[in-house]
Amino acid sequence: MIVTRETVESFLFHEADLLDAMQVEDWLGLWAPECCYWVPCNDRDANGTDPGRQVSIIYDDRARLEDRVHRLMSSAAHSQRPRSRMRRVVGNIRFESREDEVHTRSNFVLAELRRGRQEVWSGVSQHRLLPAGDRFTIKAKTVLLTQSDMAIDNLTFLL
Amino acid sequence: MNAPYSVSDYSHLVQRDRVHSAIYTDPAIFEQEMARIFHRAWLCVGHEAELPNPGDFRATTLGRQPVVMVRGDDGQVRVFMNRCRHRGMTVCETETGNARFFTCWYHGWVYSNTGPLQDVPGPAGYGADFCKDDLGLTPVPRQASHRGFVFASLAPDGPSLAEHLGPAARYLDIYMDASPLGQIAVTAGVHRTRYRGNWKFVGMDGYHPHYTHRSVLDAWRRRPGGNMADTHHGDPFADESGNLTRDLGNGHVLLDFLPGRSANLDRYLDTLRRQPQGEQYIQAMLDTYGEARGRELLAWAGDPHVGVYPNLQLIGVQIRLVRPLAVDDTEVLMFPGLLQGVPDSINSMRLRQHESFYGPAGAGSPDDAELFERNQEGLKADVEPWLHLGRGLNRERLEADGTRTGLIGDETTQRGQLRGWLRLMSETPA
Repeated sequence: MIVTRETVESFLFHEADLLDAMQVEDWLGLWAPECCYWVPCNDRDANGTDPGRQVSIIYDDRARLEDRVHRLMSSAAHSQRPRSRMRRVVGNIRFESREDEVHTRSNFVLAELRRGRQEVWSGVSQHRLLPAGDRFTIKAKTVLLTQSDMAIDNLTFLL
Repeated sequence: MNAPYSVSDYSHLVQRDRVHSAIYTDPAIFEQEMARIFHRAWLCVGHEAELPNPGDFRATTLGRQPVVMVRGDDGQVRVFMNRCRHRGMTVCETETGNARFFTCWYHGWVYSNTGPLQDVPGPAGYGADFCKDDLGLTPVPRQASHRGFVFASLAPDGPSLAEHLGPAARYLDIYMDASPLGQIAVTAGVHRTRYRGNWKFVGMDGYHPHYTHRSVLDAWRRRPGGNMADTHHGDPFADESGNLTRDLGNGHVLLDFLPGRSANLDRYLDTLRRQPQGEQYIQAMLDTYGEARGRELLAWAGDPHVGVYPNLQLIGVQIRLVRPLAVDDTEVLMFPGLLQGVPDSINSMRLRQHESFYGPAGAGSPDDAELFERNQEGLKADVEPWLHLGRGLNRERLEADGTRTGLIGDETTQRGQLRGWLRLMSETPA
């Protein structure tokens, strides 16, 4: 496929729509067979942090990502019963092609409403995308969450 | 409408097989918990291994009182009241860091990280009777430790830490001795979670997983490996599992998974062997502790699943500290311990097992928090205020050493914690 600002943006916006709507199986379908979904904890940046020695909020390989998605489809995932109602804005998108991958960096602001409480979440998302046919697949996604060192009660929706 | 009760008659509120819900909802009782438990009893402040270097500190609270735990330049870990001796400002305003000195930025009094007042601006303004030596940071009235776990009490007198811990001490040893060196590093960061519910909901409950954590048990069945299921045998929460609840006295309780885990040991050892250099870890444990104790410690998987009343729990890989903020608001800190002297693969496996269940995005903790919030909401309906805690009373065993045991789903643990609560709340403050 041709990597242009339009194709990169429309992919990230499509992903944001799936996340807001909690279409978790469709979202799982965006991921490559070998992948890494990482949300560092304790205000760590992605550089110089070793997930083998540091606890993460999320550090999923493909198998754990599938566990996460399956759980969210369960009627017994109480912390998402009812679901979070969400709307996020993705912007400040930068991207570059590196060998066979496209690396993107974007900001998000997410309003999340659940059981009468509204939270505002924000952060930076870093995607490593693999162009495949007429679409991208996600090889890795790292989310640097502004609130990563705060006391958080429920982060069971998807970033 | 509330059933009449007296907030001073705690033995009426906590009975043999039932408890009055006011102890979870009444702000006046919460105030007395602050005074009688959190500002008096032994609390765990943290672990010395959080502070590997001189000057490392963590600021926290004991009940409502701000303190700072710091490793001084002399290597000693001390707990000080986080309060300037001049006008009472906090002298440490960040949660963690490294400092040779704590400076009060109000008027510039400076304390060394071992406590003494180092300097005051304009000393000529003080007379001859001004003695800097009397004005160091105030230490907590009592401090003691066991295997690096630092405990403090804001009461000048009371039982010793060893008396307080009693038989619970050996479970702290089990946590530490998952390392062939008997040492951990507490440098992996912290999961901070919070829920709008009473602090006592963080119990030790082997009865709830089949419902609260059904999604997790389903996931274990779907993919029986690569997660915490590796450390258990079948359904660890079935009454037939052989696993036990224990009430150790003084409010200390545990879910004893050793029976099931011993039956599962060969499978768990296979899991360890699949990690790079995993065999080295097994061999180091057997070399250090001998065949019998080594195998027992491996079976424990470093998870004593013990609650040390009132604010420490050792669950999975984590040192968990419970911080009550209000009668209906609680923060829970989870510090994963890294085993010293083991291949890196073992620690990364343990971190991934932890994250799969615990923390704000895990498959377990947020569902616990959700249920605790529903619990707090339900308790507002107090026309009938009594909660039932009788499961297993018909088969609970009183052991020769005074501890009590029940089956894994029995409410022996809840009753034990409430007995500890009742004792602390009923003793007249010194």
